[in-house]
Amino acid sequence: MSAESASGIQKNQVDLVDFIDWSGVECLNQSTVHSFPNALKQGYREDDGLVLESHADEQLLIYIPFIQVVKLHSIVVTGPEEEGPKTVKLFANREHMGFSNVNDFPPSDTIILSEDNIKGKPSILKYVKFQNVRSLTIFIEDNQSGSEITKAQKIALHGTTMETTDMKGLKKIEDH
Amino acid sequence: MVLEATMICIDNSEWMRNGDYAPNRFQAQADAVNIICGAKTQSNPENTVGVLTMAGKGVRVLVTPTSDLGKILACMHGLEIGGEMNLAAGIQVAQLALKHRQNKKQQQRIIVFAGSPIKHDKKMLEMIGRKLKKNSVALDIVDFGEEDDGKPEKLEALLSAVNNNDTSHIVHVPAGPNALSDVLINTPIFTRDGEGGSGFAAAAAAAAAGGVSGFDFGVDPNLDPELALALRVSMEEERARQEAAAKKAAEEAAKEKGGEQQPASQDTTMTEGPSASASEAENKKDDLMDDENALLQRALAMSMDDTTSSHDVRDTDMSEAAADDPDLQLALQLSVQDSAKEGNDVSKLLADQSFVSSILATLPGVDPNDPSVKDLLASMQNQSEKKDEDKGPDGDEKK
Repeated sequence: MSAESASGIQKNQVDLVDFIDWSGVECLNQSTVHSFPNALKQGYREDDGLVLESHADEQLLIYIPFIQVVKLHSIVVTGPEEEGPKTVKLFANREHMGFSNVNDFPPSDTIILSEDNIKGKPSILKYVKFQNVRSLTIFIEDNQSGSEITKAQKIALHGTTMETTDMKGLKKIEDH
Repeated sequence: MVLEATMICIDNSEWMRNGDYAPNRFQAQADAVNIICGAKTQSNPENTVGVLTMAGKGVRVLVTPTSDLGKILACMHGLEIGGEMNLAAGIQVAQLALKHRQNKKQQQRIIVFAGSPIKHDKKMLEMIGRKLKKNSVALDIVDFGEEDDGKPEKLEALLSAVNNNDTSHIVHVPAGPNALSDVLINTPIFTRDGEGGSGFAAAAAAAAAGGVSGFDFGVDPNLDPELALALRVSMEEERARQEAAAKKAAEEAAKEKGGEQQPASQDTTMTEGPSASASEAENKKDDLMDDENALLQRALAMSMDDTTSSHDVRDTDMSEAAADDPDLQLALQLSVQDSAKEGNDVSKLLADQSFVSSILATLPGVDPNDPSVKDLLASMQNQSEKKDEDKGPDGDEKK
């Protein structure tokens, strides 16, 4: 496990983009033109030209609910060298946070993105803290160079899903 | 129809005692607040509005965002004027109140009434504005009352710090004959992106002005589009019918007047059909050129056609019906004339008076001795007699 995680994503981890509940995703302080789909959605996030930009200042607060409970393993955040995110705090299962109360709770994990991370190397999270995640709040506190605007090209989450009931597999018990 | 939670910040400082807005600034402000609350709750029933005061002993939330208009209006009573307005604290408390709204899906908006001088400096206001923008709160500013040096600039700076895609607005209202609320109604504070509160606002403006609402039927199409549409359509139909009736009358005037009186419809006897033609004719004369008359006339002609002739009944095809039936023709002509009682165009009216009067006597509410009935008897027709036999007496008839 440790040998693999240094180089890439573990084999049984999946990209959780399919499990994001898009109707509930909120992003505070994003610019109207450059919004969160540019960094989160499949296809958009691969394009380095499409970025998620902050608006009034350099902080961003992204709230991502999932359609089912997941376990988070790692996160990839890429961006330009100058304006890419640096300090990222993650909060599991906290609904509707705002910039004012984001510092009131201890984050489930804090990662400081290095240059490698900004290029695409995944950051491994404290797995034990993300065992039962229904929603994730990503707080980007500052960026690499301290500039006014933070830009993120890609934010990808990797992990596994919990075992859930496959509703299609349910069959009605026949009366005898 | 945007789903919104709004906090209104009221200035109840000493400067509001001034009478440069009628009756005084505070009252003008209260009226404006009432109208805004109404417009918001009406444009979307799930909208919530809250109110707080910025002066007095300190910033005080009178009512947290609610969709209950009564509660909002009630809390406006008994407000006291005094103290100094604290704009920064007011906006921050409003932001906090919005943050704890129950329905997180609502957009956040603050409406500030800035009537007294502003003691904060521009930098602080800009910081506040940025914070609002960051939390996606929109801000509407009503600049009225005191005209300080620098007040408009400060407020404009605040607006530009908050404004994100034109969701925030500022309105400067100088003192004058126009009421504060009237001026506000025409601003984007009300007419959000050209829709929404305009219907309510227009109605309110009409009430306030006490005059013409500007809408054809006194019904605001925004408030009740179906009713307005129905009224318009029926008005047009009426006009069409009247024109058709007038046309027919002109045609019949040129034709021979036959005998039959047209059992033109009556106000309430339409459904009874020609059975009541006698009384109908009488009432018809009473109601000549009535709008309803033309309508009922046509309807009755339709029912008449069923019994008198075999051709299809069509709404506006009365001339055809009349052509088949000279009596009908005559009746039509009579119906559109004012002086029907004279019956001077009737040359061939049969007056089987004894029979007709006996019929009339059986009709409840018809007094054969009534002079108008007697007049009518003179122009009674055989046709109507036949119809009376077919149908029972119909029970209406006003004379």
